[in-house]
Amino acid sequence: MATEQAQTGASLLFNVLEHHGVQHVFGYPGGAIMPIYDALCDSKIKHFLCRHEQGAAFSAVGYARAANKVGVCFATSGPGATNLITGLADAMADSIPVVAITGQVPTAVMGSDAFQEIDIFGLSLACTKHSFQVRDVNQLEQVLHQAFAIALDGRQGPVLVDIPKDIQLAAVTQGLVALAEVNPGEQQRQEKAAQQDISAAQALLAEAKRPVLYVGGGVGMADAVAQLRSFMAITDLPSVATLKGLGAIDPQNPHYLGMLGMHGTKAANLAVQQCDLLIAVGARFDDRVTGKLDLFAANAKVIHFDIDRAEINKLRSVEVALLGDLKQNLAATAMPLNIDAWRTQCRQMRQEMSWQYDHPGDSIFAPAVLKQLSDTRPKNSVITTDVGQHQMWSAQHILFDDPKDFLTSGSMGTMGFGLPAGIGAQISRPQDTVIVVSGDGSFMMNVQELSTIKRFGLPVKIVLIDNNKLGMVRQWQDLFFDGRLSETDLSDNPDFVMLANAFNIKAKMITQKTEVAAALNEMLTHQGPYLLQVKIDAADNVWPLVPPNTGNDQMMEG
Amino acid sequence: MNQYTLKITAHDRPTVLERLLQVSRYRGFVVTGITALPNARTQLLDINLMVNGVQPIDYLTKQLDKLIDISDVSIDNSLLMRSSA
Repeated sequence: MATEQAQTGASLLFNVLEHHGVQHVFGYPGGAIMPIYDALCDSKIKHFLCRHEQGAAFSAVGYARAANKVGVCFATSGPGATNLITGLADAMADSIPVVAITGQVPTAVMGSDAFQEIDIFGLSLACTKHSFQVRDVNQLEQVLHQAFAIALDGRQGPVLVDIPKDIQLAAVTQGLVALAEVNPGEQQRQEKAAQQDISAAQALLAEAKRPVLYVGGGVGMADAVAQLRSFMAITDLPSVATLKGLGAIDPQNPHYLGMLGMHGTKAANLAVQQCDLLIAVGARFDDRVTGKLDLFAANAKVIHFDIDRAEINKLRSVEVALLGDLKQNLAATAMPLNIDAWRTQCRQMRQEMSWQYDHPGDSIFAPAVLKQLSDTRPKNSVITTDVGQHQMWSAQHILFDDPKDFLTSGSMGTMGFGLPAGIGAQISRPQDTVIVVSGDGSFMMNVQELSTIKRFGLPVKIVLIDNNKLGMVRQWQDLFFDGRLSETDLSDNPDFVMLANAFNIKAKMITQKTEVAAALNEMLTHQGPYLLQVKIDAADNVWPLVPPNTGNDQMMEG
Repeated sequence: MNQYTLKITAHDRPTVLERLLQVSRYRGFVVTGITALPNARTQLLDINLMVNGVQPIDYLTKQLDKLIDISDVSIDNSLLMRSSA
């Protein structure tokens, strides 16, 4: 890129970000990243000031997940950088493309325990797909291109680029690649699986009597929802989804049995336990899915579609692995199946085991609220959640028609995810309604981000399921620790309505089930941000529950 | 515990050994020896990594293969035989 005027590392950063289509970044300034924040003033990119770097990282994750694109966040050196770590770990665990830019102390003092110096590169090793530390400004452009390419290529993930302050200030003198020669968003073409593997998979499908399709988050990330649905239309396979797979399958599909695993539906878990062939698509046999691994679908052969070779045979040996381009592989493998008796059996299980929303007394039943929210929310709404009981109830009772509409911290289970992820999603999809479903424990973990909502006038809706408890831990203490309640009481929570009001957010608390319908309607029709605090009975549990280290057919049902 | 020797070719970047050791440890393997020498002809780093582990070795090699700076990983049977001889 030949320009008349020499540019600095900081201004080059914005040129490259713009070239990769970045319009929005999330961050927080500080000493070692000041040249970048100075260059921001001359950039077209809009920066969203979050109130904690962890919020910035989660907003980048929510931004990425809501629209299948790269999220970008900035932080300064030292504590700014360490505050990103939890967000990067979350992105790593859920395979989310994020590029994190951190300022670093000047190269002259690196390694001297300088003010706000931390070895963020070393810290990033365990929670990024790759990381860079730039020691030469003439390498910065190439590093940034690589960061985007790596974040998006194959199994996606976070990449960190650590840029010392003097590199941000230095004039770029050589080594620039013509930006026009770098095709943004270009991903390495994924190969189709070998024909012999596809034939082997089809042979297993042809002989299976009780096959089940097990759909994970990889389908949405491969942008292969349409191809999955075509595959399902041809095979008419009974199907189940993981937490991150929700939305990939049309929830109205008559052969869909719901989520499997620890809090999965009884029908989904029983079908998987009885199956003789499990077709895993973009899923990785996580312990929350399998329960006791040896007992998981114990009589089944396995076909595994994935993009990551390291997931094949990692936890479960498979008969056939179909690596590479999911779109092509699904299309090549689809075939009609003669399994009417099994389909009928699965449909019966689905009908007999449907959710019940009856609940005695006047107090509010969270599953019924979430079902009503599911039925009344505008089309294309994004739901984000935090972690705990409200998360599992959301997964169970809200129906999703697109994985980009349900953003939840799956693998890392990070409390504090919901609010900043919702902020990122709202900026990613400004035309769509964004609803954060949170709990009173999780909400307080990044509550400072209410200030981000206020600052940018974001119309994010918050449904705060409030039981004055760390509900999921309390549930486990009751079930598995003899009811010895330890540090799970939150009865000294702040007044959430007053708290929201302090950020100019309209808020309301409801305590009776008769109030639910009107309150949801008021929230959804309100033009700006809104917090609806829903008080529920602290004794309510999430059912079903497969106890730890147990087969998935041994679920507790309350 | 099984002993393996891995023959690894990597881009000679200051951080590649750190990554290699981090992944080996996290995936449950104990590093019992390592040599790493730049190859003047290929401009790459030739690494011999000796590890002990309970898991099958491809559990580690597949993860090492994913590292951006590592271009090739193979199990060196000749070295394995020599070390057990």
